Amino acid sequence: MSSLARSTSARTEAGAPASVPGAAPSAPAVRRRSLRRRRRWVGLAFAALPLGIYGLVVLVPLVQSIQYSFYQWDGVSTPSWVGVQNYVTFLTDPVLRSTFSHVLVLIGFFALLPIALGLLSAALLTRGQQHGMAIYRWIFFLPQVMTTVVIALVFKRIYAPDGPLNQALRAVGLGSLARTWLGDFTWALPALGLIGTWVTFGFCMVLFISGTSAIAPELYEAARVDGAGPVREFFAITLPGLRGQLAIALTLTITAALRTFDLVWITTHGGPGTSTLTPAVALYKAAFQNPQVGLAAAIGVVMAVLCLAVALVITRVSERD
Amino acid sequence: MNVLRARVATTAAVAAGLALTMAACAPGGGGSKTSDEPSTVSTDITSAGDVTLKLTDFWGSAEGKWIEQVIADFEKKYPNVTIKRTTEDWGQLNSTLNLQLQDDDGPDIATANNGWQSLGTLAKGGLVLNLDPYVKAYGWDKTVPTTIARQNQFTTDFKTMGSGSWFSTPMARTSLIGLYYNADKLKKLGIDPPKTLDELEADAAKAKAAGEVPFEYGSLDGSTSVLLGLQAVLANKDKLNDYIYDDPSVKASDVAMTDAVTTVKKWADAGWFPKDFAGIDYQTAVANFVGGQGVFRWEYTGSLGLDAKQQGHFGYVQLPQASGKTVGVGAAPGAMVVSSKSKHPDVAAAFLDYLMSPAAGQAAVDLGLVPALSPDVTVPASSLSLTGESAAAKTLDSDDGYVPYFDWSSPTMLDTLGQNLQLVFAGKMTPDKFTSAVDADRDAFLSGQS
Repeated sequence: MSSLARSTSARTEAGAPASVPGAAPSAPAVRRRSLRRRRRWVGLAFAALPLGIYGLVVLVPLVQSIQYSFYQWDGVSTPSWVGVQNYVTFLTDPVLRSTFSHVLVLIGFFALLPIALGLLSAALLTRGQQHGMAIYRWIFFLPQVMTTVVIALVFKRIYAPDGPLNQALRAVGLGSLARTWLGDFTWALPALGLIGTWVTFGFCMVLFISGTSAIAPELYEAARVDGAGPVREFFAITLPGLRGQLAIALTLTITAALRTFDLVWITTHGGPGTSTLTPAVALYKAAFQNPQVGLAAAIGVVMAVLCLAVALVITRVSERD
Repeated sequence: MNVLRARVATTAAVAAGLALTMAACAPGGGGSKTSDEPSTVSTDITSAGDVTLKLTDFWGSAEGKWIEQVIADFEKKYPNVTIKRTTEDWGQLNSTLNLQLQDDDGPDIATANNGWQSLGTLAKGGLVLNLDPYVKAYGWDKTVPTTIARQNQFTTDFKTMGSGSWFSTPMARTSLIGLYYNADKLKKLGIDPPKTLDELEADAAKAKAAGEVPFEYGSLDGSTSVLLGLQAVLANKDKLNDYIYDDPSVKASDVAMTDAVTTVKKWADAGWFPKDFAGIDYQTAVANFVGGQGVFRWEYTGSLGLDAKQQGHFGYVQLPQASGKTVGVGAAPGAMVVSSKSKHPDVAAAFLDYLMSPAAGQAAVDLGLVPALSPDVTVPASSLSLTGESAAAKTLDSDDGYVPYFDWSSPTMLDTLGQNLQLVFAGKMTPDKFTSAVDADRDAFLSGQS
């Protein structure tokens, strides 16, 4: 990087006299210019292998997916061009379109709820120094490092008709609330969403606690001197100070909600009916169970664009003064 | 300035590259070569020289032991042949078989899944051999019952399943949907195994009155065996075959779909399923039944995973239709295909023929698996369930009474059945609407085919 900058400045110094109209370029200037050009090629040569691999494993499949999305294709025989028909199907088919509303519900559980809870607990925990803070953090953070498959299997047990949740409800006399959580048209989606809340809550909390500790203590002292209470302190100092962390938490959790697959696949397969079907599950079914590769690619492209848009909007908003 | 220009140039180059790739020919695939029919075939294996074949299948435990036994017997019969076996789990093999068959080092023989989703797609893509010359050479059209043979056939324009050329073969084993019962519970309740649907309903009512769960079942992941088992008892055999084999003039209401759904819903409402069946998944329901909960269960043969001792405590019946004839959902547990890239199709075909032999059927029985195409097998009397299953297969072979799995009618049918059945149970859909949803699914698929 620095060598590039140096060679650029060298060129401008030498280049000024050489560009006098009618004058032939001086010999040293030509040599310097070719040297600069060679350096550039050397740099590219060094980067060629990683760039090539990146292109092969990321860019080529990306372009292929976009290409597939304009075809009707069973994965084996000759594909036929259908234009934007796959996109139209994704956006108009009532079942496929309903996956968007399911994702919106999941965003509430995966992103908004954990961030609210994370902010609250961070605000409470950072006000005083308790003993064993590291252990609490570790416990709350644990779900984040566990494999989703394991989490899904555990919660499938918890939500089972005779599982711990229903047993607990019956034990405290709330047996009327016990139900087949994952088999219930109304409750299956919120039940899945709460798993997401449990997973991402610890992550948000740890992120916010570390963010809060980076806020200058003088700001809090100044606020207290001015007579601000805990609530005022939170909104005036903690929340603005956590803007960066909020952006990270929002981006990661919202894209996680958009991509939800394993949780649904292991617990409900998208059922009962299609009440927990997510775009990622619909994509998997189209790509690997029913030979509709084009439709699967179209779903994938739309989801990728949505994830990118979410990330861009959040970054833009959080970096605005 | 210069840096900016370079960036613009790079972007333009990338964009141009993308555009070029996009404009290039359509996504790859197996090409559109159809009807890979070997010109000359030979059934003489001994003089074929030393041959090594690769076989990929999805069989584990008892089924895995069976195929290894059959391979060993075949290799003993033809010492010049070696068969190398690879096994993968069902889902894995199903989603990658089309790629494996396009590979020059891919398997010579593989287990595909019948229906359009797997076998039809492979045949259409020219990845598997048209086996018609071998059908003639070995006389499979005479030894295999028509209702089983149709399961392996597609017309060479690939618009219709169930007629035309053979693209796979069955084997001396079968997988049926039928009714299992807990023999100890029946004895305790003082009832004999049911012989008709009416008797079954009477028995279920009796079991319910005695405080038992009549049918062990869970619908969490959309299990449909109860529906399809009942449909086979109620539907007209030929119409049901035609419906699944893409005859658009037959509608789902002609094949007792509405009756079957209505009956299942009636059983659910009568409390004949476990109380929380909507929250019970397939694996749990199976484990519950084998563990002693519930009196009856509609199930695919082989799926309960009964060990030798348990086989003495569970029985199996294939309920006949009201006419007295037996019709059952059944198919070979896998469609055996030969890769178009195989260098030794003759030897591969000989192995497929051996898989349908009575010897392979006896090997299946010896391992506790349901035999087919081999009427003279000896079943150990200690196994109650296998005795019932073998008797059922024998009746279906002689009555030519097989109907294929209903979900072969379209690639999305299994999802459609499972999802809509959950809606029916929740009272959110009527049986009539269920039947129209089934038709809508299949008709959408058929219109995409032509």
